[in-house]
Amino acid sequence: MNTAIVETIAVTREVAWLPWAVSYFFLIGLSYGAFLLSLPGVLLRRPGWGGISRLALLGALVCGLTAPVALLADLHQPGRFWHFYVHFTPSSWMSWGAFFIPVYLGGLLLYAWLAFRPLLGEHGRSDGRMAGFARLIAYGGHDSRKALVGAAVVAFVGAALVALYTGAELMVVRARPLWHTPLLPLQFVVTAFAGAVGLTLLFHRFGPARDDRDATQRLARVLAASQVVALAVGAVWLALGVTGASPVHAEALAQVAPSASWQLTAVWAVAATVITLLLAWRRPGSGLLIGLLALHSAWMMRWTVFIGGQEIPKTGAGYYSYQLPLGPEGLMGIVGTAGLWVFLLVLLTTLLPFARLSAERPTAN
Amino acid sequence: MKPFENDPDARPCDSSRRAFLRGLPALTAAAAVAPAVAAADSPRSAQRWGMLVDVRKCIGCQACTVACIQENAVPEGSFRTVVTTYSVELTDQQQPAGTYVLPRLCNHCDDPPCVPVCPVGATFKREDGMVLVDGDRCVGCAYCVQACPYDARFINHDTHTADKCTFCAHRVDAGLLPACVETCVGGARVFGDLNDAQGELRRRIDAAEAEGALKVLKPEQRTAPQVFYVGLDPRFEGKVDGQARLWRPRASQV
Repeated sequence: MNTAIVETIAVTREVAWLPWAVSYFFLIGLSYGAFLLSLPGVLLRRPGWGGISRLALLGALVCGLTAPVALLADLHQPGRFWHFYVHFTPSSWMSWGAFFIPVYLGGLLLYAWLAFRPLLGEHGRSDGRMAGFARLIAYGGHDSRKALVGAAVVAFVGAALVALYTGAELMVVRARPLWHTPLLPLQFVVTAFAGAVGLTLLFHRFGPARDDRDATQRLARVLAASQVVALAVGAVWLALGVTGASPVHAEALAQVAPSASWQLTAVWAVAATVITLLLAWRRPGSGLLIGLLALHSAWMMRWTVFIGGQEIPKTGAGYYSYQLPLGPEGLMGIVGTAGLWVFLLVLLTTLLPFARLSAERPTAN
Repeated sequence: MKPFENDPDARPCDSSRRAFLRGLPALTAAAAVAPAVAAADSPRSAQRWGMLVDVRKCIGCQACTVACIQENAVPEGSFRTVVTTYSVELTDQQQPAGTYVLPRLCNHCDDPPCVPVCPVGATFKREDGMVLVDGDRCVGCAYCVQACPYDARFINHDTHTADKCTFCAHRVDAGLLPACVETCVGGARVFGDLNDAQGELRRRIDAAEAEGALKVLKPEQRTAPQVFYVGLDPRFEGKVDGQARLWRPRASQV
């Protein structure tokens, strides 16, 4: 007996995690990814990484300071954010996240201050813009190696916890098969890191050291490696789903496979990753293009998981269709977050000009 | 042969009816106060509220949907309960398509996935089994909305907090039935205390279980729903495999 079922009356559940959430996960991912990219040059002081790592640290700061604002805006009761701190609920990853974010950002701010302190002091002694303020916050401009290592450890622990909670927060949602896959946190980390490399490539491309081909090629190699890992994880995800070796992956695949729109999304994502890989590998000088592609992939992955995931009804037939609203709950939210990001970038690069940041030289003066 | 002549239970029908009619005012009064008295006499944890939905009796009139909206001031475009309706056609047989109706609401699970994810403990399960939201504590993060496997939760755009069916806790605490049960035309919704062995709910559930007819939605989620179904077609237990409706109401469009 074959049946054809047509839904005639049912409820359409609205997307409850708005583009604000996509912005938050995108920015916090870029931030912890860029922080990791800052370690070789700033902390380990590896030759050839100084400029790259300082630019990455700038990206980590700008994204890290913008991200919590987007997160706060995604709350439908943002004025009650303090409830997170007076009603701690250990069974909730989101509750833990409320504590992990300050650990990471606190560590990051301290690490960045210690890393940039000599440069701030240098800028403070110049007659550049905001030199007085730079001199003030440089607080002597000393290079404190031990303190830098300590702050890096705190920031690293915070970054790891943020990466863990942002992935686990979605992975534990059994009601959404697309989210409930053990590989999702790893996919978030890999794409976040690739996006951070892309952001650093953009900073490098628009900075005064844009002609430093060594730095571009070094970043391109890292990006290529990240794309290989992204493709490998994606292949494992698909294999687990197709073969049925992992029931949760098979369920996730079964939910999206029949949809033409999801098929297009999958082809797009794979094509973008492969093109980024090929360009980064064969034409490492194409820093601007591969940087933009990597950022696009990081955003698209989160958009697909968050918004696309919520377009799959839990009980209803077919799919919901989401149209981006133009107001604060949609486009204006994304534009506003981008505006804050630009403002912070301008502020920080006024305090510490690109030229000082991207120059290839030892951090210690 | 006169009707009921050989039926010993039928013979006192008239007298029973007269006695019933005479006692109607007293019965009505007792019905109104009985649940409250029971609640007062026994510790709250002794009760476990649940619901049985007899799909075979539902006529899809949406009276429950409207009663719930009226009782709970549910904003336009949102629903705490709704009777989902489907057109079902047997493609290999020559007969007109039929209609299948399935009332849906919060399942007040015994192992509710919405509770542990709430970052501020605003969603909780009462000792009597009701899963509720503390609207004063809720931050509107919508994590519970994501975690509910039944799409039973939503963000209320008036209160900006998570919203869902409460089993009409305010009515039940006052000794009344939930609005949807009270108004159900076909008597498809039976509400009561699962711990009351003599109660209609328990008796109906036990009978359905004995026949192997008792079902819950999405049993594979292992959430132990306290909303049970009789007459639930397996094709509608989980995500329905079919064609989505064309008309989709949105809160912003109503």
